[in-house]
Amino acid sequence: MNRSGVRGMLRSPFVIVTGVVLAWFVVTFLVWPNANLLIATFFPDGTLTLRAVDKLISSERAMRSLTNSFLLAVVLSVTVNAVGIFIVLVTKYFDIKGARLLWFGYASTFIYGGIVLAAGYKFIYGENGIATDVLLRFFPGLDPAWFTGFFAVVFVMTFATTTNHMLFVSGALGKVDQQTLEAAKSMGASDWTILWRVVLPMLRPVLFAVTILTFLGGLGALSAPQVLGGREFQTIAPMILTFSTSLTSRDIAALLALVLGVATIVLLVVLTRVEKGGTYFSLSKVSSELVKQKISNPVVNVVVHVLAYALFAVYTLPVVLIVLYSFVDSRAIESGELSFGAMSLDNYARVLGQSSGLRPFIVSVVYSGLAAVISVVGLIFVTRILSKYRNWLTTAVEYLLHIPWILPATMIALGLIMSYDHPNLLVGNIVLTGTTVILLISFVIGKIPFTLRLLKASFASVNDTLEEAASLMGARMMYIFRRILMPAVLPTALAVGALNFNSLLDDYDTAVFLAHPLFQPLGLVIKANTDGAVSLDARANTFVYTVLLMVITGVTMYLVYGRAMRPGKGRRRRAGRGVLPTSGGASVAPVPDASTRPGAGVTARTATQPSAEVA
Amino acid sequence: MRKLNQLAATTAAAGLLLAACSPSGADSDTGNGDGGSGETLIVYTNSNADGRAEWLTAEAATAGFTIEVVGQGGGDTTNKILAEANNPVADVVFGLNHVYFSQLVAADTIEPYTPSWSEEVDPALGDPTGDGMYWPVVQQGIVLAYNADALAADEAPTDWTDLWNDERFHGRYETVDGLGGATTQLIFAGILTRYQDPDGDLGVSDEGWEQIQGYFEHGSPAVPDTDLYARMAAGDVDMGQMFTSGIPSREEEYGVTTGVVTPEFGVPFAVEQVAIVQGTDQTEDAQAFIDWFGSADVQAAWSAEFDSMPVNAGAIEQADASIVEFHAGLQQQDVDFEFVTENLSSWIEKVELEYVQ
Repeated sequence: MNRSGVRGMLRSPFVIVTGVVLAWFVVTFLVWPNANLLIATFFPDGTLTLRAVDKLISSERAMRSLTNSFLLAVVLSVTVNAVGIFIVLVTKYFDIKGARLLWFGYASTFIYGGIVLAAGYKFIYGENGIATDVLLRFFPGLDPAWFTGFFAVVFVMTFATTTNHMLFVSGALGKVDQQTLEAAKSMGASDWTILWRVVLPMLRPVLFAVTILTFLGGLGALSAPQVLGGREFQTIAPMILTFSTSLTSRDIAALLALVLGVATIVLLVVLTRVEKGGTYFSLSKVSSELVKQKISNPVVNVVVHVLAYALFAVYTLPVVLIVLYSFVDSRAIESGELSFGAMSLDNYARVLGQSSGLRPFIVSVVYSGLAAVISVVGLIFVTRILSKYRNWLTTAVEYLLHIPWILPATMIALGLIMSYDHPNLLVGNIVLTGTTVILLISFVIGKIPFTLRLLKASFASVNDTLEEAASLMGARMMYIFRRILMPAVLPTALAVGALNFNSLLDDYDTAVFLAHPLFQPLGLVIKANTDGAVSLDARANTFVYTVLLMVITGVTMYLVYGRAMRPGKGRRRRAGRGVLPTSGGASVAPVPDASTRPGAGVTARTATQPSAEVA
Repeated sequence: MRKLNQLAATTAAAGLLLAACSPSGADSDTGNGDGGSGETLIVYTNSNADGRAEWLTAEAATAGFTIEVVGQGGGDTTNKILAEANNPVADVVFGLNHVYFSQLVAADTIEPYTPSWSEEVDPALGDPTGDGMYWPVVQQGIVLAYNADALAADEAPTDWTDLWNDERFHGRYETVDGLGGATTQLIFAGILTRYQDPDGDLGVSDEGWEQIQGYFEHGSPAVPDTDLYARMAAGDVDMGQMFTSGIPSREEEYGVTTGVVTPEFGVPFAVEQVAIVQGTDQTEDAQAFIDWFGSADVQAAWSAEFDSMPVNAGAIEQADASIVEFHAGLQQQDVDFEFVTENLSSWIEKVELEYVQ
C-alpha cells in the first residue's frame, strides 16, 4: 500500500478536505480545551500563580479525597481481579455445574453500569432497601445505613467492573493450550500448581491491561462515590464537580482534574515500560481446545461451587429486583414491599405514554445515536487516511486522537466549558455552553479512540490487492471507497456504532457537566431520582428507564457479540484476541495478530471507557 | 449499499428527533428577536422546593405562559447564570436575594425592567443601589428552628454560636454540607459578618473561622433524603436551619412544633427578588411573566399555598395574618451585605476546602 510521505499524501483532494476538518477538530476539541485548562489553572492572568495549588494542599478535605481516590483505585485493582478471575475460572476453566447459567448472571454487568448500576445497588442495599430489611430481621442491631462509605463503593464497583474480565480474560483463557495442561498434569502437577504456574502466567498480559483499566476507573470514579460514598468516603471526581460550578473556584476543579490526568498518564507510561520488559508470547500456535478442568479435591470443589453461586446471587439480585419493581406501583416501591398482586404495567404506561416521562429517554437516545453515527462516519474517513498513509504526520495525528483516552472525562468536560463559554474564533465565535451541541461534541470526543482503533484494525484487514486491482482498472478513489472498502469495514463500523450508542445511553459523568437544563439525558434523571425527595412516580420511572436501558443494551450486545458468545469455538477466541490493542491508549498488551483480524476487535465495551463507564 | 442508505436514513431520523424535541434550546441560541410568544420561558430559581415549581408551572400555564422551571440552590443558580453569561439559557430568575442579584448585576447578566407592580412594593426591600435592576417578591427569615416539644424555650439556644460552644447542643443540631443553597450560605454569612477583621483571612478574624469549624465539628450531618423535620420528629436532632416559609407545612407534615431562636443580633433576612436575564430573546414575554408573577393576586395565592411572606402590599393584605405577624416579630440582622457580596464566593470556597468534613 501507499506508504508515501506527507507531500504525496497531500496531493489527494480527499485527504486535504478530510485533513482540514480533522485538523480543526483536533485543535479545537482535543488540544485547545485541555491546554486552556492548564493555562487557566496556572496562568490565569498571564503570570504563573499557584493559588489553586496552595488552596488544595492546605485543604485537608481535598487531600483526603485524593488519598481516597488512589486508595479506591488500588483496592479495586485487587478486588476486581480476585472476583473477575474467579468468575472467569468458574465459567470457562473449571468444570462447574450450571456454568452457562452462572455466565449469564455474571454477564449482567454487560447490560447496565455506571449511574444506573449504582442507583440499583443503592435501592436494594440502601437504607430502605429490601436487602437491608431482610438483614435487619436477622441482625436487629444493624445500622440501616450500613451500605455506605468505602465498603459500599468498593463493593458496587467491584461487581460493576468485572465486565473487562468477562470479555478479555475469558478470551485469553480460551487460547490456553490443552496440551500444555496435559503435559503439566502428566508431570504430576496438582490442580493448584497448574492454575498458578501454567494458566495464570499465560493470562498475565491480559490481566495487566485489565488491571490498568480498573485502576483508572477507580481513580476517576464519579457516580458510585457520589451515590454511595457519603460523608466518610469522598473522592476527587465529585469534588471536581462541586468546584467546577463556581467561576471563582474553577481553577481548583481544573487542578484536581489535572491531578487525575497526570496520574493516568504516569501510570500508562510506567506500565507500558514494565510490560515491554517481559516476554509473554507463551501462547502456542496450534492449540487444542481447552477442556474444562475438574476440581479433584471434593471439599474445594464444594467451596468453589458455593462461592460461584453466591456471586451469582450478588450479580443477579439487583437486575431481578429492578425488573420486578418496575412493575410495582410507586407506593409499594416506597415501602419496599414486593407482592405480585401489586404488579401492573402502569409504570410502563406512564413512562411510555407521557411525553414528560419519555423525554429523558428520547434525549438520551438521540444524543447517543447522533454521537455514535458521527464518530463512526467521521472516523471512517480519518481511519482510511491513517491506514493508507504512514508518515510522521499521520502518526502524530493518531497520537492526538488518543487524548480522550488518556484524560479523564471530567477534565475534558471542564476544558470544554472553560474554553467555549465565551466567543472563540475556533468555533466561529459561537458560545457553546448553554447549547445542546456541547454535550454532543463531548460524547463524540469520548468515543474517538475506541472507534479509531477498531476501525483501523478493520481497514487493515482489507486485502490490499483488491484495492490495487480496482485502482489499476481505473476505479476512482470514491468508487473504491464505496465498493471495496466500505463493504469490508461496514460490519465493524456498525458494531462499533452500536457499542458507542450503548455506552452513551446511560452516561452521567459527562452530562452532569455539560447537559442543557431542558434536555437532560437519562443518567442525570436517574441520579436525581436516587436523591430521594422526588415524587414517588419519578422513582418508579427510574426502574422503567433501567429496564428499558437493559433491554436496549442487551439486544445490542446480542447483535454484536451474540454469535461470539455461543459455546462455538473459533469465534470466541478471536474475540478475545482482537480486543487487546484497545486497552488504554498505549497498547499495553502485546498482541501479535490483533490488527489483522476482521471485525475481531469489536468486543470491547468497558475497556474503552476507563473513566466513564466504570461507575 | 442498502445498509449505507439505512445508516443515512437513521442519521436523518435522529437529527429530526433532536430538532423535534428542541423547541427552545436551539432557538435561544440563534437569538431571533421576534418576541417569540408561545415559546417556553426558562425560569431559574432556588425557590422550587416543596412543590413550588409544579404549582408555578401550572398556574403560569393557566395565565398563558409556558414556563420551564429549573431549580437549584441559590448559590448554584447564581453560578449557573454567571457561567452562562455569554449565552444565557434562562429568561427569568427569581428567588435569589440581593446578595446574589448584586453579583449578577455586577457581571452584567441582568436586564433592567421595572414591573407594573413596582409601586406596590417597599423600595427598601429591593435593589439597594436604587437602580431597580431587580424587584422584591417574597420575604424570608433564615432562622435556627428547634423542636419545641424537645426543648423548652428557656433551654433552647439563644444564638447559632451556642450550638458548638455549649456542650448541651453537641450532636443535637443538623449541619448541612451541601453549600450550594442560599439558606446555608446566608447562615454562614450571618455568622461570619459579625467577625469582620480587615487583617483576617477573607476579611474575617480567626475567631470567626473558629465558629465555622465548631459548626461542623459538633453538628449532626444532614442525612441525604431526610428532611430536618423528619429527623426532629424521630428525635435524631432537635434543631437546624430553616427558611421561615417552610415551617408551617413541615409542622403539619411531621407533627413537630417549632420554636425559632431569636438571637440578639437578629436573623438574616432574605428578600427574594425577580429579574430578567440579560440576553433573553423573549423580553416581552419575560416582562409579562414578571408583571403577572409579582402581582398582588398571584403573590397572595403563592403565600396561601406556600406560607410565604409577600412583599407586595396588596398581597400582604390578603395573606394569612399569622404569617404577617410572625415575620413582623422577627428582628432582622443587620448584615453588611456589601461585605458579604464581595466575599461570599471565597468564603464558600474556603468552607468547602477547609471545614466541610
